[in-house]
Amino acid sequence: MIEVRDLSKHYGSHRAVDRISFDVAAGEIVGFLGPNGAGKTTTLRILTCFLPATSGSVRIAGHDVVTASMEVRQVVGYLPESNPLYPEMRVREYLRFRGKLHGLDRADREAAIARVTERCWLASVIDRPIAHLSKGFRQRVGLADALLHNPRVLILDEPTVGLDPAQIRETRSLIRELAELHTVVLSSHILPEVEVTCQRLVIIHEGRLVASGTPAELRQQISHESNLIVEVQAPSDAVANALRGLAGVTDVRVETIEGWARASVAAQSDVREQVYGLATGQGWKLRELRREVATLEDFFVKIVAGTRTAGQPADART
Amino acid sequence: MRNVSAIMQRELLALFCSPIGYIVIAGFLLITGVTVRWMDTFAPGKPASLREVFFWTPWVLTMIVPAISMRAISEEYRAGTIETLMTAPLSDVQMVLGKYFATLIFYIVMLAPTLLYLVLMMVYGNPDVGAALSAYLGLLMVGILFTAFGLFASSLTSNQVVAWILGSIPLLLFACVAYFVVRMVEGTWRQVLQQINVIGRFDDFSRGLVTTDGLVFFLAAAILFLFLTVKVVESRRWR
Repeated sequence: MIEVRDLSKHYGSHRAVDRISFDVAAGEIVGFLGPNGAGKTTTLRILTCFLPATSGSVRIAGHDVVTASMEVRQVVGYLPESNPLYPEMRVREYLRFRGKLHGLDRADREAAIARVTERCWLASVIDRPIAHLSKGFRQRVGLADALLHNPRVLILDEPTVGLDPAQIRETRSLIRELAELHTVVLSSHILPEVEVTCQRLVIIHEGRLVASGTPAELRQQISHESNLIVEVQAPSDAVANALRGLAGVTDVRVETIEGWARASVAAQSDVREQVYGLATGQGWKLRELRREVATLEDFFVKIVAGTRTAGQPADART
Repeated sequence: MRNVSAIMQRELLALFCSPIGYIVIAGFLLITGVTVRWMDTFAPGKPASLREVFFWTPWVLTMIVPAISMRAISEEYRAGTIETLMTAPLSDVQMVLGKYFATLIFYIVMLAPTLLYLVLMMVYGNPDVGAALSAYLGLLMVGILFTAFGLFASSLTSNQVVAWILGSIPLLLFACVAYFVVRMVEGTWRQVLQQINVIGRFDDFSRGLVTTDGLVFFLAAAILFLFLTVKVVESRRWR
């Protein structure tokens, strides 16, 4: 549904987006993840025909964003990051106006307004001026606008930013429902946000694509970096040496707390059974054996921090 | 066409919902009213004509018209709504035209109450209605040009006050320079200034002299500035 090829955008000498390529299949929910200033908004603005790319190409539903801009705009519903609205208009007036711009005739327009009003829980504010609405309602008006012409592709730039936790939950479940009918691309700088909503993540940092895949795939990449917490009653040196002797263990750090040796074991495979065997074999009392699976959050932080210090594409290292 | 009218309707709604619109109308009518009083237009024995009032009107309009158009595009930039507009299936030309027609309609609404002076004059005297109507056609032409220029100024900045200054100061200077300097210079300069002398051209209309030359000048100049406005709006995306 969306094909992005070698997309770059330079602002003067600054490279906001640097040779990004990815695909989004029809019906997918893709999360566009990156820290602030990573180039998410710029990329989405190119996808929605608001900004031209410096080089590279984008096709949405088979239409090129440069040569067939109007066709692309017709199939895309877009919620910009700042969610700009006209404060002097009433919600209904605003939706009517947007409906006209999308070429809906009167009957279709009213039907579409009724549909998005229900979808986005706007019934209670439909005749109120936008200026009087809370941030949460404004966000829903923006979302309703993006949905109005029943677009095949929905592009949502930070759809939950500034909402309270209850509204975030509502918005997430709404987005998940929407994915049944639309292809959704949403951006966020908060990982749990996209982890729960999206089927696939595209992580970008400093304009470059650093990782992409389903949350499970990304977790796979980091699963070998699991961490074991072991607490046994034994001399810490002995514990450290014994643990280092196990196959697959890459690093052991031991500290002694009130007579107990607490070891943090980095291993490339799951060594819990071996650790248990070791403890029983040595006759050590074991009071904790826990595996800490690295979360995507750790992965995200690592990627972002890694590229920042190394200054090279992190996809080489993952 | 639907897009143009959608933009136009929204723009009119914004103009009539904002206090600025009413302040501008009130200001214009106040100034016109004061001019009528000051010129003693309705004094006994004076010719039943609004020419003296009409003479001053374009000068006032150099300040008033950019105040109507100042928010048209700059406010879209400032509020960021340009992003939702430019990602809807709407061309830059349609957006500019919609805003232009809305501003022009507002201008006509603002001008309409001054017809009262003409009506009063017809009640108490015997004015040259033909010349008065021609003068109104002239005011419409001035509006067509000034509105296009004001819109152009509005497309240059995201600050309404700056848009007003960028619109009104050049119009005022231009009107003054062309009107006064045209008598002081000779040769080519005089010919050039005569061509672009907005107030002089309006004077022809207010004397009842409707020429193709005059109509073409105002319409062509308006089209030029609308074209420039479209180009500026386009160029904003290419940065």
